[in-house]
Amino acid sequence: MVYNVNLLTRTQLQIQPNNYLKKVRQGTEVPRREDMDKKPDSRSEVVLQGNEACARAAVYAGCRFFAGYPITPSTEIIELLSSEMQKAGGAFIQMEDEIGSACAIIGARWGGSRAMTATSGPGYTLMQEAIGFAAVTETPIVIVNVQRGGPSTGQPTLSSQQDIYQARYGSHGDYGIIVLSPSSVQEMYDFTIKAFDLAEQFRTPVILLADEVVGHMREKITVHTGDRNIKRPKQRFAVSPSVDFFNGANSLVEGQLHDDMGRRIGHLPNKSGEFIEKINRKISDNVGMIADITTYCMEDADAAIVAYGSVARPALNAVKRARGIKDDRILPKFRVVRDLVKRGVKETMKTDYSHLKVGLIKINTVWPFPEDLLRQAAENVHTVIVPEMNVGKYCREVERVLWDKNVVPMPKCGGNIHTPKEILEKILEEEGVDE
Amino acid sequence: MRINIRFAGAGGQGVILASVLLAKGYGLGENYNIAQTQSYGPEARGGACKAEVVVSDEEIDYMKVDTADVFIALNQVGYDKYADEVSKDGLVLINSTLVETDNPDHYRIPATEIAEEMGKPFVINIVTLGALTRLLPKVHAPAIEAEIQKNFAASIAGPNLDAFEKGYAYMSQLLIERKETQPAMRLVKKSA
Repeated sequence: MVYNVNLLTRTQLQIQPNNYLKKVRQGTEVPRREDMDKKPDSRSEVVLQGNEACARAAVYAGCRFFAGYPITPSTEIIELLSSEMQKAGGAFIQMEDEIGSACAIIGARWGGSRAMTATSGPGYTLMQEAIGFAAVTETPIVIVNVQRGGPSTGQPTLSSQQDIYQARYGSHGDYGIIVLSPSSVQEMYDFTIKAFDLAEQFRTPVILLADEVVGHMREKITVHTGDRNIKRPKQRFAVSPSVDFFNGANSLVEGQLHDDMGRRIGHLPNKSGEFIEKINRKISDNVGMIADITTYCMEDADAAIVAYGSVARPALNAVKRARGIKDDRILPKFRVVRDLVKRGVKETMKTDYSHLKVGLIKINTVWPFPEDLLRQAAENVHTVIVPEMNVGKYCREVERVLWDKNVVPMPKCGGNIHTPKEILEKILEEEGVDE
Repeated sequence: MRINIRFAGAGGQGVILASVLLAKGYGLGENYNIAQTQSYGPEARGGACKAEVVVSDEEIDYMKVDTADVFIALNQVGYDKYADEVSKDGLVLINSTLVETDNPDHYRIPATEIAEEMGKPFVINIVTLGALTRLLPKVHAPAIEAEIQKNFAASIAGPNLDAFEKGYAYMSQLLIERKETQPAMRLVKKSA
């Protein structure tokens, strides 16, 4: 039976999950199979690779459709889901390419399944058209991009953060998007779950922007065992179509700019302008709800390191070394004293970093840019170092917000992650030694 | 305590697998924090391959190894490339069948020879891992053996466990000859 969305009211179309649960409790309805099979949620410790953690988290977050095409360094996600998806009662398809993968998951989400795909640089480029389509049709999908070195085929087995702008501005036209950047295996797990929730809440594609280091690293993490009790988000930012077709109603889906009923308005400048504003503002007006940063030792810091993704890890190590927080590589005190006597204060300070008051601002949601949080966290510093594994892209965004500070880009290309020593030396270079 | 361990060898020798088993042994068996990373070329076999394990009782921030405390070389190319990046009192274990060097401080295990004697040349990584387990502090053989059993199908877990024991026994004998008990304990003392 085909519903005409114009004739039926919203309430008539909605499936009422609450009534169903009430009936189950009253005993007038037999619980559905999937509810009976649910295992209680508990937690356990495992050693997992970043990619495996992402795949496990997707199944836990309720993803029941995966379409993908294997590409290093994201292949392990596809490999693991090819068996796990079936066990969870979902569907797995190895598509002909990444264009097909991205389109398939959009269709799967319209059909009612939470859906995801995973890829790396070259595949992510192919997906751009579909990402724009998902944005304009407000389809909640999750795309994992485990970054490798580019451009083109680039460096299949080495890491980079070169797709940071493509993740935000990759598809043509103006749209808002959410991008999360994990820096550890635990975050890869947690952020995947978060990505699904944010996608549903804001009805937008969400990108999990990992990199080779995080994707291939193994760490001990805590995972959920059992099944998740998936609730519909309380507040949803659906703007159109007005009928919630993810709950069973038929509707028009339209790639051209459309009104609340899905009717084309591309030829009407005023209405089109409103539509574009709406799909952008559902993200930009709610940055406070989405944005997430973590700060370390920022209370009394003179200089800050702003980092995201795997680079945040050596940056944290640099902060700990400067602050003298227990670590086996910190110079023993007697050596510092000996150096002070032998070489004098100035020379010693060039190799000992303990006088540097450094803090770290780790950005978890790279897009939308967490302007207010960053401004607040970096209020009292005068130097900001932005290490990143590209030619220095994200630092422009930092520069825009912290325009009155000394923002120093610290690009590194070639596939190797920054070492803590390099970061410390850069700070020393900027902060200088008092004459 | 933080121990930086680096494995180097050729793709196909099982360099990464050995590091993963060691990391799991430390992480799950002995309840330490671990971070295991690797780097390799696009080739399936034959390219240079490196794997790193960081073991710590604190949360690990920097997950890579700059200067290794423990260095394991499975072939000559890997040894030549990373032999200089070992800390002064670091511990070096070499596959003496394939690596030639005259440093008397290095621990040697003829892993390829032992594996070929067993008729299973693919277990050289596990033979080396057995020898390494004897040398390293804070990890016990049962923890690694449990991970070997979990990691392999039943049909090949047997040969791998044999290989592990052979490596372990060989190194125990060598340590008796060298009159040492737990050579790597200095790594723990240094960082305590």
